[in-house]
Amino acid sequence: MLNTPNFTLAEFMTVVPAAVLIVGAIVLMLSEVFLSTANRTYMAVVGLVASAVAGLFALNNAFEPARLVLQGFAVLDPFSSFMTVMVCLGTGLACLLASGFLKHRNAERGEFYALMLFAAAGMSLLAASNEFITLFINLEVLSVATYALTAFLRRGPRPAEAGFKYFILGAFAAALLLYGAALLYGATGTTRLSDLATALPGAMATRSGLVYAGFGLVLAGFAFKVAAVPFHMWTPDVYEGAPTPVTALMSVGVKAAAFVALVRTFLALTHGLDPQVPFALFSLLALLTMVAGNLLAMPQRNVKRMLAYSSIAHAGYLLLGVTALFVPPSAKAGDAGGVLAATPLLAAGAVNASVYKGILFYLLGYTVTSIGAFGTLAAIERREDETRGNTWDLERLSGLAQRQPGWAAAMAAFMLSLAGVPPTVGFLGKLFLFSAAVDAGLIWLAVVGVLSSVAGTYYYLRVVVYMFMRPAPADAPAPFRHWTTEVALVASAIATVALGIVPGPVAEWLSRAGMVFGN
Amino acid sequence: MNAELVLFWLFAVGTIGSAVGVIFVRNPVASAMSLVASFFFLAGIYVLLWAHTIAVLQVLVYAGAIMVLFLFVIMLLSLTDTGPIAHVSPSRIAGALATAGLLVALVMAFRKLPSSDTVSWASDAGQLATFGTIKQLGAVLYTQWLFPFEAVSLLLLVAIVGAVVVAKARV
Repeated sequence: MLNTPNFTLAEFMTVVPAAVLIVGAIVLMLSEVFLSTANRTYMAVVGLVASAVAGLFALNNAFEPARLVLQGFAVLDPFSSFMTVMVCLGTGLACLLASGFLKHRNAERGEFYALMLFAAAGMSLLAASNEFITLFINLEVLSVATYALTAFLRRGPRPAEAGFKYFILGAFAAALLLYGAALLYGATGTTRLSDLATALPGAMATRSGLVYAGFGLVLAGFAFKVAAVPFHMWTPDVYEGAPTPVTALMSVGVKAAAFVALVRTFLALTHGLDPQVPFALFSLLALLTMVAGNLLAMPQRNVKRMLAYSSIAHAGYLLLGVTALFVPPSAKAGDAGGVLAATPLLAAGAVNASVYKGILFYLLGYTVTSIGAFGTLAAIERREDETRGNTWDLERLSGLAQRQPGWAAAMAAFMLSLAGVPPTVGFLGKLFLFSAAVDAGLIWLAVVGVLSSVAGTYYYLRVVVYMFMRPAPADAPAPFRHWTTEVALVASAIATVALGIVPGPVAEWLSRAGMVFGN
Repeated sequence: MNAELVLFWLFAVGTIGSAVGVIFVRNPVASAMSLVASFFFLAGIYVLLWAHTIAVLQVLVYAGAIMVLFLFVIMLLSLTDTGPIAHVSPSRIAGALATAGLLVALVMAFRKLPSSDTVSWASDAGQLATFGTIKQLGAVLYTQWLFPFEAVSLLLLVAIVGAVVVAKARV
């Protein structure tokens, strides 16, 4: 009588990377209990190995044909698999960064790495989720892990404040998302995204109010997670208060996973709606996020806050890519003026493939660059500074080129990449993304994006100026050196420059990302 | 007026009455106890809706576990019952207006519902015999909803580890 599901072994491939990460996390938790060695550097290595193995499994999945698995609750497609690869890359590097950072503070514990791996598992599962309840649960897995990581170090009031703020606002945003999903369930009778896509046109005819309310609430919930303006208020405080390696993981992993889930959700939710509505909403979000992120970053003297605002601006560029997916097919060239005018130059299918590639390559570039930038900050940041108010002031970077020429060169590469200057990966990412947006017809929005990123160059280059052209202060503290930190910084610096010069094979792989399930 | 309707009014009035008590009783412990009563009446409404499992979970989880936590917090903080219950401030007026708006919206939504129930005790007894039982819930949960169910186990593990990390002595 029981309707027993008939799983094939191949269906579980989509959860294998997450399973590897979870096993790694459990090993780390148990080793904290049973191995009482004082030197805990091996924990970072365990975290790195688990991330690397999971990343290899995900890379293998990326070359599988896109399909629905596990009774339609998850998908196995190149888009989510490549995202998992990037999350694993970011997690591995963040584990290495955390090792030196925590050792310096006598706070290295197995739980820290375990929570990082749990967060990565949540991200990987979130990217593969194809059903609202699953999506919500996996979003909570990654959120709960990052809430705890944010409050991991409690020195002074700032980490506790950041953790609490993140928790309260994150729970509120999750509730919005859940409420929106409930309304959509009320309108259509299903929570599976692929069924929603078929049921929505019918529901729009009878209960359009419910559908629009659900759509708006789900969008607001996601906008909070990707830190889009006007849902960005929490970002600077949380990014500043969290331990710097955790900030690095948040800025790359949480954001990347939320973007993939957002794209997948709205590919389904836009069925049956007036195409102008999602297009206008996403255009507005992208416009506000790009412009406000860059303008707010400009006056910041605190480099960590500046990078937090910069991550908002980068979310704006990615939203520009997302907007390109929702350009209405019937938009006429002369019909709408101004920023929202859409004049597609290519057929929609060809454009979408290049947009997916652009989004993924941009995320990859942002992953290695942002990990490197926050990592350099984490390496310079001294424990003694924690009682002072200006831990991350620009002054702390003065004369870094004389004190630590290698680190200063790496940080300069990261700043140039964030600004989008060739020959770095940040330039190529922006090139792919903006050219895809122009192909989709978003010429004015792309122009705004380019202009705002030019404005952003100001605050990125200011960091370079301080490092290379200001004398070092007399009381500049010697940095705490640890081989794990240096490995992570060297790896991300090489990736930042190498991917900018020879993107070849990687960009080729990411072209497969156009095979998104349900597209 | 049949038995179902009598029970419904009993539970509905009980739920709302004890919920009002939560707000207007001055003593925090009495307020928490009033919330327990509200949860019990709500469980009765779930039974009337054929959601037996939800009713049992309501009593076990909310009236049991969560209320014990509430009482712990009240006792640990040793809250006293001083201070006025109602004082008018702009945010309260805004809150009251928002609540009134929500009430109006809900009333309008419920007025649009079909007037008669589509299932009844008498005619659909066969269908209702298994609806909402533990057995049927388990069958759906462990077959159809297997993947989210397993994801919840991961969520609980992460929540436990996270809670311990946040609550431990400072590192």
